[in-house]
Amino acid sequence: MNMTLAPYTLPSGFVLPSIHSGPPFFTQQPNPNSRKIATDNWTRLLLSYARHKKLFVLRAEDVDVPNCEWEEVLSNPRIGRKIRAAHLAAILAHMVTSGQAVYDPPNQTSAVLLYWRSPEEWAQVLHDWASSTGQLNTIMTFYEIVEPPVPSPLSGLPFPILRKAITVLTKSNRAQIIAVADGEGVRFLSGQPGR
Amino acid sequence: MPLKRYTTSVDGTIPVPALLYEDEALLTSQDNVGIYDGQQKAPHHQAGTIYATTHRLFYIDVAHPLSRSFSLDLAHVARTEHYAGLFTSSPKVTLYLHPLPPKPEAPTQIGLVDQPPSSLAPDGLQFWECEVCSNRNPIGLTSSASMVCALCGVPRSSVKASIDMPSRRAPLVSHSLSTSLPSSSLNLSASLGLGKLSLSNSAAPSPPAASHSSSDEVACSACTFLNSPLLRECEICGTPLPRKPTLSFSSEPHPPAKSAPASRSATPAPVDEDSDEDTDSPEKRMIRLSFRKGGDKPFYSVLRRSLLGKAWESKQVAKPLASASRGIGISGILRTVETTAYASQTNMEDALADLEALMIKWKDMVKLAQDLNERLTAASTVAQPLVTPGIGLPSSPSASGLSAAAPGAASRQVVEPEEATFIRSSLAQLGLQMANAPVTQDMVHDERKWYEELAKELAGILEGTGKGGEGMMRKRGIIALDEVWGGWNRARGVALIPPATFLQVLPHLPNFTLPPIRMRTFAASGLSVLHTPPYGSATFASRLVGVLTLVGPRTTIEIAQEEDLPIGLTQEMLDEVEMDGETCRDDGGSGVALFASRTGSASTSADAWAANGGGEVRYWINIFRGYVWDGQE
Repeated sequence: MNMTLAPYTLPSGFVLPSIHSGPPFFTQQPNPNSRKIATDNWTRLLLSYARHKKLFVLRAEDVDVPNCEWEEVLSNPRIGRKIRAAHLAAILAHMVTSGQAVYDPPNQTSAVLLYWRSPEEWAQVLHDWASSTGQLNTIMTFYEIVEPPVPSPLSGLPFPILRKAITVLTKSNRAQIIAVADGEGVRFLSGQPGR
Repeated sequence: MPLKRYTTSVDGTIPVPALLYEDEALLTSQDNVGIYDGQQKAPHHQAGTIYATTHRLFYIDVAHPLSRSFSLDLAHVARTEHYAGLFTSSPKVTLYLHPLPPKPEAPTQIGLVDQPPSSLAPDGLQFWECEVCSNRNPIGLTSSASMVCALCGVPRSSVKASIDMPSRRAPLVSHSLSTSLPSSSLNLSASLGLGKLSLSNSAAPSPPAASHSSSDEVACSACTFLNSPLLRECEICGTPLPRKPTLSFSSEPHPPAKSAPASRSATPAPVDEDSDEDTDSPEKRMIRLSFRKGGDKPFYSVLRRSLLGKAWESKQVAKPLASASRGIGISGILRTVETTAYASQTNMEDALADLEALMIKWKDMVKLAQDLNERLTAASTVAQPLVTPGIGLPSSPSASGLSAAAPGAASRQVVEPEEATFIRSSLAQLGLQMANAPVTQDMVHDERKWYEELAKELAGILEGTGKGGEGMMRKRGIIALDEVWGGWNRARGVALIPPATFLQVLPHLPNFTLPPIRMRTFAASGLSVLHTPPYGSATFASRLVGVLTLVGPRTTIEIAQEEDLPIGLTQEMLDEVEMDGETCRDDGGSGVALFASRTGSASTSADAWAANGGGEVRYWINIFRGYVWDGQE
């Protein structure tokens, strides 16, 4: 048995780490140290894959859903291993605790929104996008932001993340939440430059 | 002649054991015996078998067992003499008999005469009825025993009974008491007289009259039917027939013809007998047994023992008591229970007498021990300044050199500490250790020595000494603690080691074993084992990692096979190595089959391997340790 593990590049261009080829990676380790390393690496893997594929939602049950968008990461057909749902749930819990994800909807522990960018980073991205597309001082609905006619970095961004990002901007006076007829709207302000 | 006067004829056709009383036992027998009546040979008793029982002597004639057999109560025998025999003279045993008391002579003779030779045979059919409880007592007991009712234990008073049923009672009583018991025979004579009175008063023809008639027939006392003399009970009504010597029997009299006139029947006291009585001399009061074909010596010894035993006397004396305790009925049962309880209590008290004495004394003993202890403590505190430097200095008290240092210190000092230690440890062993007794350095030293000796012994058992052959660990490098403990105690056999002591011995073990054997406890399960160095935690881990690196992941079973260890034990060790972070595990994950099927033709050797190992934990070297991220940034 060849014990040297190597990184593997998926057809999508995503590079899986070498540890993903090690069967023990898919087993919950009893040794706390090993488990911590494994969990950290899983977290990093999941977040980088989410960033790569622009995925926001991960559910523990996705493990058992065939042809799921996460399948390439959650399993390794080359060694015949797949992470268990319980194991994944534990990893998700760890991610929520460390602020890299949040349970959504709130009162359950199986589905999370992944913060592969933190709300602050998203806020910056949002403001940059607004200013670069000339949307400052205009009122926009949430839908116009996450589903723009021209694809943007914010396409498909879940509302809870968007709201958090806007909240961050509001605190620094770069955005203003305005009630509109069919829901909520936001007006981006120039922020610091305007001051 | 003595033979006639002292003996009772019996029916020799009945086996002797059947003739015995209930409390009588057959002791021995000898055939080919002849009888001497006094100084002369008894002509009709020259070839027969002699039986000795606890109560009687039986002579069963070979040729004419029916008519010529007789029994002799051993109570009559005054002393015995053994004659070994010379040339043609056979060995002989001479029985000297007591003179018969004159008074009971008359009824006795009546009894004798009244009985046909086969008189004892129907005994089992004859009863006497207790006047208190109306129990019909069988006459199966010896005369003395039959004097008491078997059910209620009331002594038999024959007067009233015989009046009640005179015709049947009188002869029965007379014959059952034929030869013994002067006191009751007085009653007998009276009852006999009364019986005769009532008989003569009754209208029915009296049996004696019937017997005196020329015919052989016997008239039934109840229905007057004339029965054949051969019958014992009336043919018509079943009443036992009065026994009368008939012509057919008297024609062949059992005593020597010379002194047995055929005419003698119901006459109370034959004249010739009386005259015989008058001229009674020692020669006339002896009977000889001539052992024609030997066997005299064993028989004689048994006979002497029987005579010395005096079973008939002891019965007479013990009877009232025995019958009381044996009593029948509710009161009898209660008394039996009481007696048994009393007896067992007596036994118990005897057995526990010593213990009770100890219990009474225990306070004194404890007090003594306390005093002794206090005095020793006082003495040792005085001696302490002297002793302390000797013991305190030599080495660290924990590990090595104790055995060498401590005794040296003790012996260097006064003898007293040594003795004090001994006394204290003795007290402790007796369980008399006081709560306030200080555990002195001496004490510790003593215990350490003890533990070290035990450790040495255990080392011998584990490693196998020269004489002991194979030790428990000769072939195995690791062994569970319970097995060691059990094996050790089995080897000791006595003075078993309690687990607490065993655990205290173990730390000393590495000092006495050449590849040091140490104890190791697995954290997960608490299992403790003794192991040789190769099975130490670090050694095993490095060996395991080496194997895993070299040949790849292994399951528990594979490792157990390679290490030649039990699987459970291997699991414990693997768990520990894993906890140390040397290895990690792969439990096959879930959905292996799914992948195997989905990847289908693309399945690689890895798939097959995974499918094989699915569900079973495989141990890997720790792939997480020192891992640096090498995936997508």
